[in-house]
Amino acid sequence: MHKTKHSTRLPGERSGLLMAAPYLIHLSIFFGYPLLFAFVLVFHRWDIVTPMEFIGLRNFARLFQDDLFFRALANTGVFLVIHIPLQIIVALFFAELLNRKLRGRSFFRTVYFLPVVVSGVVVAILFQRLFAFDTGYFNGLITSMGGTRVPWLVSPKWAMPSIALMATWKNVGFYVILFLVGLQNIPASMYEVATIEGASTWQRWWRVTLPLLNPMLVTVVVLSTIGGFSLFVEPYLITGGGPMNSTLSSVLYIYNQAFSFNHMGYAAALGLFFALVILMVVLLQRRLVEEDIY
Amino acid sequence: MRKALIYLALSAGAVVFAYPFVWMVLATFKPEAEIGNLSLLPSVWTLESYRLVFETIPIVRAFLNSLVVAAVVIASVLVFGSATAYSLAKLRWKGRDTVFNLMLFTMMVPFMVMLIPLYTMIVEFGWTDSLIGLIVPFMMNATAVLILRQSFVTLPTDILDAARIDGCGEWRILFTIVWPLSIPALVTAGIIVFIGNWNEVLWPLMVIRNEDWMTMPQMVALFTVGGGAQARLGPQLAAAVLLALPIAAVYLVFQRHFIASLASTGVKG
Amino acid sequence: MVLLAGGCGTGGSRDSDGEARVRLTYWSSQNPQEREIARILVDAWNTDHPGIQVTVQPLPAGQSSEEVLLAAVAAGTTPDICSNIWPGIVADISRAQGLLALDEFPDFDSLYQSRIPVGLQDRFRSRDGHTYQLPWKANPIMMQYNVQMFRDAGFEVPPSTYSEFLRAARSITADLDGDGSIDRWVGYRDIQPIWHQRYFDYYAFYAGASGGRSLFVADTLAIDPTVSTQVFSFFRDLYEGGHFPRTKFQGSPFISAAIATEFVGPWNIAWLEKNAPAGLEYAFAPLPVPDGYEGPVYTYGDYKNIAVFSSTEHPAEAWRFASYLVSKEADLLLMEKATQMPIRRDLLVDSTFAGFFAGRPEMRAFAGQVEATVGIEEVGSFAEMLDAIAQQFEASAVYGVRSPADATRRAIDRMRVIQEWNR
Repeated sequence: MHKTKHSTRLPGERSGLLMAAPYLIHLSIFFGYPLLFAFVLVFHRWDIVTPMEFIGLRNFARLFQDDLFFRALANTGVFLVIHIPLQIIVALFFAELLNRKLRGRSFFRTVYFLPVVVSGVVVAILFQRLFAFDTGYFNGLITSMGGTRVPWLVSPKWAMPSIALMATWKNVGFYVILFLVGLQNIPASMYEVATIEGASTWQRWWRVTLPLLNPMLVTVVVLSTIGGFSLFVEPYLITGGGPMNSTLSSVLYIYNQAFSFNHMGYAAALGLFFALVILMVVLLQRRLVEEDIY
Repeated sequence: MRKALIYLALSAGAVVFAYPFVWMVLATFKPEAEIGNLSLLPSVWTLESYRLVFETIPIVRAFLNSLVVAAVVIASVLVFGSATAYSLAKLRWKGRDTVFNLMLFTMMVPFMVMLIPLYTMIVEFGWTDSLIGLIVPFMMNATAVLILRQSFVTLPTDILDAARIDGCGEWRILFTIVWPLSIPALVTAGIIVFIGNWNEVLWPLMVIRNEDWMTMPQMVALFTVGGGAQARLGPQLAAAVLLALPIAAVYLVFQRHFIASLASTGVKG
Repeated sequence: MVLLAGGCGTGGSRDSDGEARVRLTYWSSQNPQEREIARILVDAWNTDHPGIQVTVQPLPAGQSSEEVLLAAVAAGTTPDICSNIWPGIVADISRAQGLLALDEFPDFDSLYQSRIPVGLQDRFRSRDGHTYQLPWKANPIMMQYNVQMFRDAGFEVPPSTYSEFLRAARSITADLDGDGSIDRWVGYRDIQPIWHQRYFDYYAFYAGASGGRSLFVADTLAIDPTVSTQVFSFFRDLYEGGHFPRTKFQGSPFISAAIATEFVGPWNIAWLEKNAPAGLEYAFAPLPVPDGYEGPVYTYGDYKNIAVFSSTEHPAEAWRFASYLVSKEADLLLMEKATQMPIRRDLLVDSTFAGFFAGRPEMRAFAGQVEATVGIEEVGSFAEMLDAIAQQFEASAVYGVRSPADATRRAIDRMRVIQEWNR
């Protein structure tokens, strides 16, 4: 990559704006307007079929009394707490195994990545079958080995972990690849120095690999947090949010408020509040993870 | 010895990720009563599950809808997105940096804020129950612009200047000079948009209610929850297989590009 | 010839010869039987009425038809006529001026009076004095049971009270293959906390236990806490004793003999006739009621009615087609193809239907049950309030984490809040 120094000669005072114009127009209609309208909508009650009614801050007053919404937020938290560490451990494990000269490396990569490209709808339908209590594949395996059935999706304790397990299965291939890129970017010389200093394999891993992998770790945590916050299809298709609201995700709750009960204003307020939560969590994570390892 | 262990672990992983798909595909050829079994192969091969899917839902039409939506969105993102990226990378104009920062800002705003207002806007435009409602809001994509811009920045300015001296307009330069030099970035942007668009369920669920305009993942999702499958497992799994098939096929052909493209979305972050 | 392209176009157009021709769009229900009925009826109508051509479409898919209809009203993509209108949604749509008042058509009164059983006549009138729905069909919820299983358990006559049902449950629920877990249950309900699932347990059983009352009087919440608690307790006993499984079955557990009863409407007969294995003997009985209850056994009626949307450009023609949909021929077809009950007072006496009922005692039972049904009051946000019940049903009956009385109290409190909020 060479840097050019003729930036003064870059032309385009007129054509520049012209070429960016389609983007800007689209941006103002489909980003700017809805974003502004969101701030209008949150102060109104609107069932979308009758005229809007201004209600001041009542949507927010309702929000702060809405146990179910906070339950949904907490559920999303439970999901993330299981999903993120599990995902990082499994992904690091396979990335570490794949980070060497191996026959069939690209075969394994291809297979691990397959669930990533397939629609969440497919994975949900598939796992609904695998997780079924009485005739499901997993419980079939467990009972054939003499174990007792696990109430995967039917017990309030197990349902969210089961969904987190499924989400991990679906996404982990993506993070294997990211970690693989991260591992490959670590210069071999760093390991050589550590070896000369007499570090064991484990010590090298802790002292060299992990710190140098940190930027990628931050990326993985942030990406899977954002992914986890948008959890919708799986509970929508598999559990409907139950049992006992244990898999009610925030997006599913907002969807229900908007489309089962037609509270557009309230749903918009939930969406706004939820977006703020996402931003705060992501910013906090960046801070924590960065400080923690350096 | 060590190598054998590594292969063992990798193969175990491969089984974990691939076996469910294999089981699913084979289960669709089983008679309904056998689907709960642990056995992998059907005792009798039957196409009954697929017959029921094709009989109950217009899944071919849904496939075509998905195809049209994805194709138009990708084309638009590449053409207009690359124009934007080019203008941000290689042209100088007042407000350029502001636009660039604005774009980064849009990527930070969670889609949840926009979801409901955008939906009500589509209703107002009368774009529900039409492919327009699925296409137009997504004809631009900041991630794609960013990827393209990063690639365009590295192009030597000299070639562009030479073309300008020959009297080429900027649009012409974009398509005849910049594009051929940026195929990998275009492929990456295209694949990212494709995967996101093809697998999207929430937005079509909101905007489309008429079977004629449903996308494939939406139709399969509603087929399972909405009772179209009449509580039979075979057709549900068969519909899932049909939904997985197109993208799995594209993936297996272009797997290198897929993996590299998606990885790049993470690496730049 | 129908040249209408695309989905939701309505309105008239002129043919090349200048003759005015009216085109109507009609949404039928989704299920295969009713789709077929709609197709047959529309074909016949179009042949007889070259000037009023109807295009039939199944109601667009969604998790529930209510969601779909409201979205259509919002987006202005409603059809001219729909025959799958659930009374609970009429309040919401007519508030948005989405429906035509049918009582303004001159022949409405005579049709309504002659069709609707006297006991049900007031039920479909809105509080503003208008009637926005033409009552079409009812699907009273009854107990479908596996005759052999009950016979083996010592019940020649099916249980009619809660304690009899529980007694039957104790001998029917069993671990048949001896692997340590139950594999046959007395019954099953979809336990997903989705509001419309509660029609088939809580709502229907509340109607039975209260002697034909619903949750509201006019638009005032009027749940009888004692009755509600009885219903929650009954289901709690069933789940706690393991007589109802806490799983989600896929496939029909009734035809695979994994359960002995289901609470269903007559529509299920058409499905069973097609899918049940030979030798599965089933019959229907009224829902169990609390011990000591006396009087007729009421249930939920699950009415679906016909409405004309105000978006139509041809109200008179749409109304004509709507009245055609409730003709004797159409009603007979509904029973024959879909085994559902038209709401009409002469069902068991008119000679047109006699042939159908001959030799079908189960259909006769359902026809008799129609009069003892409870509907949905015209209350806004009904779905959301039933969702409050669903939450408590799950907590109290299915998972037993709170007492039935507490569940009732919480449900009532929550419904009050919802009403207050949406007023």
